[in-house]
Amino acid sequence: MGSCDPIFLSCFLIVALPLLSFAVIMIFTWRRHKLSLSISLTCSTIPLILAWSLFYKLHNAVTLAKPIITQVNWLVSDAVIVPFGFLLDPVSLLMLCIVATIAWLIQIYSIGYMEGDPGFARFYADLSLFGMSMLSLVSASGMLQLFISWELVGLASYLLIGFWYEKFSASEAGKKAFVVTRFGDIGFFMGLVFLTFFMKDLNIPGLGIFDINGAALTHKLSEAQVTLCALLIFCGVAGKSAQFPIHVWLPDAMEGPTPVSALLHSATMVAAGIYLITRLFPLFAASATAMSVVLVISTITLLLSSTIGMVAKDIKQVWAYSTVSQLGFMAMGLSAAALGGSTLFAGYYHLTTHAAFKALLFLCAGVFIHHFGTNDFFVMSKDGGRKLMIPMVTVTIGALALAGIFPFAGFFSKEAIMAQLWHLPNKLWVGLGLFGAFLTAYYTFRVIFVMLFPRKDDNPVWKEYYVREPGGHGHGAHDDDHDGHNGNHGVPWVMAFPLIVLAAFACVLGFMQTGLEKFLLGESHPHEMNYLLLVLAVGSALSGIGLAWLDWGSPAAKWQGFIRKVPVLENFFIQKWYMDHFWRWFLNTVIYGTFSRIFTYNDRRVVDGGVDAVAFSTIGSGRLLSFLQTAFVQLNLLFMVLVLAGVGLYLLMGR
Amino acid sequence: MNFLGSFLTPQGVATAAFFMVVGMTIVGALIAVAARNIFHNVLGLVLALIGVAGLFLYLNSPFVALMEILIYVGAICIAICFAIMLSEPMYLPRPPRKLTKILGAAAGAGLIFVFLFLLTKKTTWVPAAQRSTDWSVTTIGHYLLTNYALIFEVVSLLLLVAMLGAIVIARGGRGSS
Amino acid sequence: MLVFNHLETYLYLALVLFAIGLYGVLARRSLIAILISVELILNAASINFMAFNRFLAPHPAVGQVITLFIMAVAAAEAAIALSIIVAVYRKLKSINIEHATELRG
Repeated sequence: MGSCDPIFLSCFLIVALPLLSFAVIMIFTWRRHKLSLSISLTCSTIPLILAWSLFYKLHNAVTLAKPIITQVNWLVSDAVIVPFGFLLDPVSLLMLCIVATIAWLIQIYSIGYMEGDPGFARFYADLSLFGMSMLSLVSASGMLQLFISWELVGLASYLLIGFWYEKFSASEAGKKAFVVTRFGDIGFFMGLVFLTFFMKDLNIPGLGIFDINGAALTHKLSEAQVTLCALLIFCGVAGKSAQFPIHVWLPDAMEGPTPVSALLHSATMVAAGIYLITRLFPLFAASATAMSVVLVISTITLLLSSTIGMVAKDIKQVWAYSTVSQLGFMAMGLSAAALGGSTLFAGYYHLTTHAAFKALLFLCAGVFIHHFGTNDFFVMSKDGGRKLMIPMVTVTIGALALAGIFPFAGFFSKEAIMAQLWHLPNKLWVGLGLFGAFLTAYYTFRVIFVMLFPRKDDNPVWKEYYVREPGGHGHGAHDDDHDGHNGNHGVPWVMAFPLIVLAAFACVLGFMQTGLEKFLLGESHPHEMNYLLLVLAVGSALSGIGLAWLDWGSPAAKWQGFIRKVPVLENFFIQKWYMDHFWRWFLNTVIYGTFSRIFTYNDRRVVDGGVDAVAFSTIGSGRLLSFLQTAFVQLNLLFMVLVLAGVGLYLLMGR
Repeated sequence: MNFLGSFLTPQGVATAAFFMVVGMTIVGALIAVAARNIFHNVLGLVLALIGVAGLFLYLNSPFVALMEILIYVGAICIAICFAIMLSEPMYLPRPPRKLTKILGAAAGAGLIFVFLFLLTKKTTWVPAAQRSTDWSVTTIGHYLLTNYALIFEVVSLLLLVAMLGAIVIARGGRGSS
Repeated sequence: MLVFNHLETYLYLALVLFAIGLYGVLARRSLIAILISVELILNAASINFMAFNRFLAPHPAVGQVITLFIMAVAAAEAAIALSIIVAVYRKLKSINIEHATELRG
């Protein structure tokens, strides 16, 4: 270790430069948009280059079991050691590259998207902070550092979701995201505390990741302890990665600018949770109970969000729910792998591919939103969304990848997860997974077909679907240059370029499965092709697309989802499974009604009462003592003299 | 007239004079404390102070006796007279004395008296082993300017400050009234 | 032995003076009367110093110097006290100490 170590230096620069950019922009250059942009771009390009060069240099040198750690012990207290530094192993190295790449692409994209926004510089500062915290999270060598970065990610997401803070719903959404994820983070932190607490007397240095991970873990902690810690940490994961039942913040997070959504949904915020599971995979794998809980929750998440995605009319909502469902899918893959004694590859692989195609989907959506000034894809469809060639092609590629169609990236990673689920003794899980894939394909292609094949202008379906809100969903920048963009059928190259790059990723990532597996695990398992499963998976995806074609695509389609036949269910989905209602009710009755009330009572009576009692007793005794203060100087003097004489006589006689 | 003759010896005359001085002091002090008229109090104080000056003569110190009369009688008592004239008019009816207060004060003073009396009585006073007999005023002056120079300076400072303070306090009301 | 050649004579005398002064301080209501009583107390102390000086001290100058200082301090004290009396009278229209009750609890 040492500052001249090139690995340490580049890691340090990767993390420090975005932070520097944040600070410089926020303090000095926030008035000057162009300058801020160049600072921020520089400070994200250099980490990009460094991350890839690290990857190139180290991809043969590190394995999961033998990471490169450069750290300093920040705090040493008896057996607890809190290190700060960088840890490079295949998992973090790959994630570092993904984050750096996507953050960079989104910064490029935002040049076009955020053009003319009054908060342009602030936006770039916040993006830098977001990138910095995620990069630091990924490369953290200790759990405390990871936790700090984790919270910084939460902070940055709050800043970005509520970026248009003058809009009430945006600031509310920012708050919601912050509070809800914080709710999970309590669990995360408690898990860390318990973990440290349990391991302390076993003389294991505490908060380094690998000390937690060690294979000896199971021997040193009891099953119950591991389960407790794993479940508590999963609370944090559920908050960040939007798992049921605290996924409610993620759809609302759409209030932020679309590049933010892209970043949030692909590489940073939500990925952090899944990344944490992969990071602590041995810990989770050590507890079958915890993993079963995770499996159940992630399956619920998958189904819940897919069904809501089926009825959403806001394109970003659809992608948001698809993110939730894909995150559920990843968690399913990881937990199934843990239960089946397999490796973390499948879930992590899906995280990688998902990062590419989900960023792609959101950025495409961003182009449409920027262009048409609405979030409603039916409106986009009527206004001629398919005339925008590049985003339309790329969004279709992204959708194919999301649906899991060969040869796009999603196909391979989903296949890997399905294989993990297949290995579980209970075939219910793989069935639910296939059902989820079916739904995913359905709602994805609902969007695509609606956009691709709009009805004629006089078609009666528009009565239901073409609702142009006054003022639109657009933001300030949009209103300013609306006319300039509307007649122009090109997409600015700064926005098109990231789309093309990401589309390319979505196409080729699938074929890198073997290479990635070898890189991640050190060896590649020979794939015995499970043709039945292959057929099932592709079949479910294709049937989903087919159903979408029947409902939305074909010229004869009535533009009514098959779900319309069961109005109760449809309403249930439109109301988002009443989750928001549930939480409202929960807050009102349980939190405000019960805890707050008890605590308020406690505050009023015990705390305030105690303070008041002290004050009153002070006043009272003062008032009592003030009777002595008669203002009769001579009386006081008399007592003084009497006491003096008394004491003197006593001493004199007593001698 | 042996009885009378014994008084006419130098010692006898000195003793008689001493008792007279003591009587002056105590009677003066009693007048100073007990008389209702404040002016009589001052006169009693003058009497007592002259008596104290006489005691100082008996204590071999004519210089201090002189200073006693000069400072106390000549300065402080006159200042008190000024204070009387500057404050409450004397023709106002005085409030009646309270018996409890007088009794309390008498008890306090009496207890202290008893205490100090017993203390004085019980103590054996031992003179210093070597005693100088130099009573001259010159020596006092010498001491004032050598051994006690610091206190001398401090006292002069104190007098200055007291003078200024008295002026400040006393004229504080004039501007406002 | 002559009565005025005894240390105790002077001590008892000073004690009487002191007790009378103390009584005055405790019993009188006029501020001026209290000041007069305080002067008595100071004189009692002076007598004590002079007596000790006469009968016990190694050098006779010491007590006299102290007595002189007491006189100076008494003068200062009298000046301050008188100005306070004047100020109090101006404020309360009275120099009765029982009327000065602004600090009553």
